[in-house]
Amino acid sequence: MTTVEARSAGAVGTSPRRREDPRLLTGRGHYLADHDTADLCHIAILRSTAAHARLASLEVAEAARLPGVLAVVTAGDLVAAGARPLDHLLGPPAKPLRWGVLADERVRFVGEPIAAVVATSRAVAEDALELIEVDYDDLPPVVGAEAALQPGAALLYPEWGTNEFFHLEDATPGLDAALAAAPHRFTERFESHRVVGLPLEGQGAQGSWDPGTGRLTLLSSSQQPHQLRTVVAEVCGLPETAVRVISPDIGGGFGNKQHFSREECLVGLLARMTGRTVRWSQDRTESLTASVHSRAQVHHVEAGYDDDGRVLALRVRVLSDLGNPVLYFSGIGPALVTVSTLSGGYAIPEIGWKLSCVATSTCPVGAYRGFGQPEAHFTTERVMDLVASSLRLDPLVVRRRNLLPDRPRPWRGRFGQRLDVGSLGPQVDELERVGSYAEWRARQASARADGRWVGLGVSTLVQGTAPNQHSTAGRFGSIEMASISVLPDGRAEVRVGTKSQGQAHETSLAQIAADALGLPLEWVTVADGDTDALPYGQGTWGSRTMVMAGGAVLKAAGRVRAQMAAIGSSLGLDVPALGPLSPEVAREIARVAWWEQDRLPPGADPGLSAVAVHDAGFTGDQPGGGHNHDDTYTTAMTLVAVEVDPATGQVRILDACCVLDCGVVVNPTVVAGQLQGGFAQGVGVALLEEVRYSPEGQPLCSTLLDYTIPTAGDVPVVRVALRPTPSDVLGGFRGMGETGIIAAPAAIVGAVEDALSPLGVRLRSTRAHAADLRALVRAAGWVPDPATWSPL
Amino acid sequence: MKPPPLDYLRPATVDEAIAALAADEDAKVLAGGQSLVPLLALRLARPSRLVDICDLGLEGVGEGKEGSIRVGAGVRQRHLELDPAIRTAVPLLADAVGQVGYPSTRNRGTLGGSLAHADPVAELPVVAAALGAVAVAAGPSGTREIPCAELSTGWFSTVLDPAELLTEVRFPAVAGPRHGAAWREWAPRAHDFATAGVGVALDLDASGTCTAVHAAACGIGGSPLVLSDALGSVIGFAAGADPTALLRSVATAAREAAAGGEEDQVELVGLLAARAVADALASAGVAA
Amino acid sequence: MTAVSLEVNGAAVDLDVDPRETLLDVVRHRLGLTGTHGGCEQGACGACTVLLDGDPVRSCLLLAVAAGGHRVTTIEAVGDPGHLHPVQEALSRYHGLQCGYCTPGMVLTVIDLLAHNPHPDEGQAREALAGNLCRCTGYAGLVEAIVALGAAGRP
Repeated sequence: MTTVEARSAGAVGTSPRRREDPRLLTGRGHYLADHDTADLCHIAILRSTAAHARLASLEVAEAARLPGVLAVVTAGDLVAAGARPLDHLLGPPAKPLRWGVLADERVRFVGEPIAAVVATSRAVAEDALELIEVDYDDLPPVVGAEAALQPGAALLYPEWGTNEFFHLEDATPGLDAALAAAPHRFTERFESHRVVGLPLEGQGAQGSWDPGTGRLTLLSSSQQPHQLRTVVAEVCGLPETAVRVISPDIGGGFGNKQHFSREECLVGLLARMTGRTVRWSQDRTESLTASVHSRAQVHHVEAGYDDDGRVLALRVRVLSDLGNPVLYFSGIGPALVTVSTLSGGYAIPEIGWKLSCVATSTCPVGAYRGFGQPEAHFTTERVMDLVASSLRLDPLVVRRRNLLPDRPRPWRGRFGQRLDVGSLGPQVDELERVGSYAEWRARQASARADGRWVGLGVSTLVQGTAPNQHSTAGRFGSIEMASISVLPDGRAEVRVGTKSQGQAHETSLAQIAADALGLPLEWVTVADGDTDALPYGQGTWGSRTMVMAGGAVLKAAGRVRAQMAAIGSSLGLDVPALGPLSPEVAREIARVAWWEQDRLPPGADPGLSAVAVHDAGFTGDQPGGGHNHDDTYTTAMTLVAVEVDPATGQVRILDACCVLDCGVVVNPTVVAGQLQGGFAQGVGVALLEEVRYSPEGQPLCSTLLDYTIPTAGDVPVVRVALRPTPSDVLGGFRGMGETGIIAAPAAIVGAVEDALSPLGVRLRSTRAHAADLRALVRAAGWVPDPATWSPL
Repeated sequence: MKPPPLDYLRPATVDEAIAALAADEDAKVLAGGQSLVPLLALRLARPSRLVDICDLGLEGVGEGKEGSIRVGAGVRQRHLELDPAIRTAVPLLADAVGQVGYPSTRNRGTLGGSLAHADPVAELPVVAAALGAVAVAAGPSGTREIPCAELSTGWFSTVLDPAELLTEVRFPAVAGPRHGAAWREWAPRAHDFATAGVGVALDLDASGTCTAVHAAACGIGGSPLVLSDALGSVIGFAAGADPTALLRSVATAAREAAAGGEEDQVELVGLLAARAVADALASAGVAA
Repeated sequence: MTAVSLEVNGAAVDLDVDPRETLLDVVRHRLGLTGTHGGCEQGACGACTVLLDGDPVRSCLLLAVAAGGHRVTTIEAVGDPGHLHPVQEALSRYHGLQCGYCTPGMVLTVIDLLAHNPHPDEGQAREALAGNLCRCTGYAGLVEAIVALGAAGRP
């Protein structure tokens, strides 16, 4: 892990101290629930306790009479106040679907919002919830995507005639023939189990209505403030100019906070209806049961391969459990990304997929770091491992034989992917070196001789970053915006439309801007998260920020630098085209630009200010056919070594190493931290986390004792070796915020299976928890010797 | 998640506390709060009033009769962890308490609170049961002694009356002349609630031969499972002997005593019992 | 409502509180000290850690009334943005924070660790952090910071 320099030039490629640190370390951050006002009141939400039911009646009168309660609202009250539904606007083949802000006559998951109480405190609001009487006419629950498609399953949306919300298929023309002709074939079922992103700070929103200006100000812990404004304005029946959204400091997002939620719209509506500042703060139970879950896919795979382990054909049927669907694009989005990234970094000649996205009576399933790539990658890595074990080949050898050759670049995938990656073979070479692969195999052999269960797992990942949404969602697009002004004292103000949730954008984007402007790093401040400060932006998700905001900042800074150069040269000052400026020169130019227009060169605009709206330019329909979804791609080669205790199922990660090509690196320490954090979440998926439901659709994880995320004792230090190949986008950046969580489960599960391979244990799920491994080991007939057993 | 409405009282004497509990059948004792307050937040516990026992002077540790040690019910778990007198007098307790939650919960959680809460996988009730400790309860009818092995009736219930509160726990003197102890548990993450745990305390003679076994487990059914009789084969084990057969028989005996529990927990109790015996012998300086 | 008197960050505080209010809620919303954060209200995550009479406790598990008569220290009394405490300085230096939500709890927990064990090794550092959940960092920077602090303190 690189340490940060306390004082440095702060240039791109160095690791200056984070701007964010002084306030966050001393408790001076301002998260959503830190914004108390004198007129603040609190919302508690009545949530369905039935998984699937008709709402026969709802009695709120007694709740409304409780002292301290200002209002109790149901769906009808909101509609009467002008609320519109949230409409996903996806178009066919998605089924039509809208959500009222509050459920009206039917509930479809435990936790669905039914009514809301506004009171002087959250405690009183919760007291009032207990006085609301709800009559449910229970309907049969629908739990599990496979069950939802069974004939006779209850229909969650009877007007569809099915529980299938969305279906799509595609295949290369020679797939069937290639599968039939392949020398070897297997059929397997893989599962990516249901988990939840669980940022430590729950979601939340706080709204206030100013009748004087007719404006709603909405604070939200949202990763996409501008797009949230679009949705809230629509639902509240307001023009976008009448809504200001502010995303303050955010205590983790991970995709869980990128959705446009009913609760955020509810807050906007209640602010106007009550005339008070109203706050909803998601508590931990709500975050576990009624926020947004993720993954929950089953893959049925047919693979055909040759004697050398080359995969010739791959067919995958993806069954995606969406819970109660919609969530705009983030509902079907992950599953669409899964099928479009199935080939990963492999040159598989024939490939095809069928995607079925299914509604069930469970919490909505949507975005979580990785957004469909972890599911695809897990499947392809398991395929490679199975090919290797069936042919008794080393798993890395099989990877090498399947990874993209070094030419041409960009590489065109079968469905139009435009892969501008570096050379993958040498990157695997570096992994073997930095990861001491040969030594680990030797250590594994001697550990086995000692009766210890050591295994190695690998992941060779090509990850799409900075995706474009427009072709699927019909709107939202993929641009990013930056405005930069150099003020009269020479300081630069940068505003971006992305939104940091801990990724240090105030530092890294400042580094990019400072370099491009030629100003000292300390002279540049970056702010995000305010729709009044910048007209539009598309937030932070999909590993997009360096590519999209970095590109927008470069463009805007380039324009400002050009202005400075023109003014400076006409004043006879020394202004090189690139590189640092002397601070005195910068200040002089700025003063003249803003205050002394008579000294400007002819035709020059006064001021030093530019706005850029950036499209990185590589997504969309491709000239050779097909469609490229991601502006650029990152490659990561990962090796994990584990030891397993078959008696308890405990897994200890002995070593983890990643050779990462994420293009031009802005801040190496931040990159290593993002990889480490994502890897830790992947450890959680593989070894500790699962969102579980009873067969009746009752959530079984409602506290942090039921849903266990990794602690400091559970996560190794991931050794990161950077291997930058500039991408084709402006700035040469690639995104990597999601890399760790995509790579880790595949590598860890592979390593655990390798460790237990003498017992013939086979792992087909991302869930390799201790209880699972104990059951598999017991089924294999292995029994520990109490005389020699000790815990790991 | 906010607690339901309730009253709060912090009496200055045990008699006042008992009177407050007796006056309201929905009153509940508040000790460290580490178990009760989460239940309040989830609204799974709905006491009308909380009677805070932290000012009742129950934090003392002192000598009892025949070398026993008296530990006030209000003694904080962190104190049990750090006090050398506890380590000397009740080594199994000292070994186990470091596994109870985290330092910040041990700064508030109490010995008596843990025993009275009777969580099926809590460490301290098992240690107390294994060692044959005796709890003293004070109530409207006076005080009484309750063997800790009989305190829990399973799954968060005890024999305590609603108006009774624990005032102290008496641990018998460590018999010797040599003594070893070990608490071993397993959980998916370190410091989580245990899936299963076993505590073993051994008395040995001067030559290192085991003369008595005190043992119990958590994770089987709703209350501590005393294993002292089941592990009787450890008695007579001589220092320097090969422990292989002993540890295997300990595991088998523990599993048999735990029969009826969940299969995973039964297997773990077997393994943990053997490991705890081995480590207890080692802590007594008996090479095993 | 119940009257409660306590000391917070060195200042005497007299309040009327609802007995069911936790110290976390009182500190944040009655006293405006929002640096202490709520991550679960269950005592499982450690984000709400404050010092009570100098020892770390989970303020979400402490009723404000039960804190009456005691001395409370929150993160606001530990360093300030212009002059960080050595633990805060080390966390910044070794990238031991990302979103910052768990950070105040971490800082107080680390201060307490070093008071009891001035030179922890990596295993002891991880053990001491077991009750403080972080979803962002994967703990590597935090552990490195603690070990570095311990090494720096060696004579």
